[in-house]
Amino acid sequence: MKKNTLFIILLFLISTVSFAQDVAVDSTGVKEKDKPVRSPFESGYLIGAQTTVIQNVNTLEAVIQHTFGTIQNGHSDLWGIYAPGANIRLGLDYVLFKNFQLGVGITKKNMMSDMNAKWTIFQQTRKNTFPVAIALYGNVAIDGRNISAFESGQVRVGTHQQLYNSFKFPDRLSYFSELIIGRKFADWLSLQAGVSFTHYNSVGVLYDHDKVGVHFNGRIKVSPQGSIIFNYDAPLKIKEISEQLEWTNHPKPNLAFGYEISTSTHAFQIYMGTADGLMPQDNIMWNQNDYTKHELFIGFNITRLWGF
Amino acid sequence: MKRTLKNLFGSVVVIMTSVVLFSFVAPQDQKAGEPWVIPANYKSMVNPQKGKGDPDNVGKLLYAKHCKSCHGSIGAGDGPKAGSLDTKIKSFKDGKFQAQSDGEIYFQSFVDRDMKSFEKKIPAAEDRWAIVNYIRTLK
Repeated sequence: MKKNTLFIILLFLISTVSFAQDVAVDSTGVKEKDKPVRSPFESGYLIGAQTTVIQNVNTLEAVIQHTFGTIQNGHSDLWGIYAPGANIRLGLDYVLFKNFQLGVGITKKNMMSDMNAKWTIFQQTRKNTFPVAIALYGNVAIDGRNISAFESGQVRVGTHQQLYNSFKFPDRLSYFSELIIGRKFADWLSLQAGVSFTHYNSVGVLYDHDKVGVHFNGRIKVSPQGSIIFNYDAPLKIKEISEQLEWTNHPKPNLAFGYEISTSTHAFQIYMGTADGLMPQDNIMWNQNDYTKHELFIGFNITRLWGF
Repeated sequence: MKRTLKNLFGSVVVIMTSVVLFSFVAPQDQKAGEPWVIPANYKSMVNPQKGKGDPDNVGKLLYAKHCKSCHGSIGAGDGPKAGSLDTKIKSFKDGKFQAQSDGEIYFQSFVDRDMKSFEKKIPAAEDRWAIVNYIRTLK
């Protein structure tokens, strides 16, 4: 079954490559090159998600992603700004080839270090020769905490001795891969949908190693530099890949809304969302925050571009 | 102890006085830019986007993203970052500026001096010409 699915995906990709032509024919019958649409998104990041946008070749994109504590305590801790539990990720992404970038990052929560890659296979073109943008994103992250942190909780359950006897480096690894399809419908509206696969090498007995997620996000431009942005990530309940008999610990969806301001080299996004993890696999696998209980976080992203 | 405090107070007075006096000597005004030396091929360069219109407001949107923070929303050279530059920005509304050819404006906007980084930031030539066309509307 797995092989068949992979084969179908591969076939789809190959067939799209074969049919994709970047030449459009105008009303007079003259052939001209159909160019990619201008900035469907301002940055490679959209709240906690990735966009199909990859900057120009030899551009370095630095990002600071931050979430504060939960807003549950209201003004007593200034809606989470003074609260403990803040998370931060520092990342660098470099565009090596046209539409292909490599990145690295470090995240405070679980002392994660990650390496990632993104490839925009197709860009949407202005005359709809190719009506959508398609991108692949993948990362591998290393949980850098002391082994004692794995004795209980989400990542691994076991006695002290069992853990120290059997713990190996691969137990620290987690993976996230996503297929993103996006379309700029108008200058003011860009939307994306994605499907992802998350895998943790080592989890506690009450959790699954694998999760499939769906993602939906976009921006509504309200001024030349300002946009309303949103992101929704939903982990799916798929019995076939679950190791549990009941859905007792199934993660909750992440819903976030925010506002983006962009300039020539910066994008600044401020938002409120339910997931505090800044790695996509963290949100898909572990998010238990429920917005109906005010388990929301204020967060922001700042990106900066340097061209070389 | 009393002597130490006296010395400390003396030092602070000397430093503060120096800072105040230095502020009169240090240049406070932005300098006017040197005249541009524009190659002949740019002076006579034809604007391929002239008269084509801009129904998608590409020039305006790109101006807002890349230029507005220094040049200001109506091109008066009074954007929020203008004051921190070494060189005073001239207004796009100035008659002498608008009297230049499109190629001359293109050269000053994307090719030479501090502006040349924008040629990389705005890789498509048609987008750069769209900005030139938009600057033309800021009379």
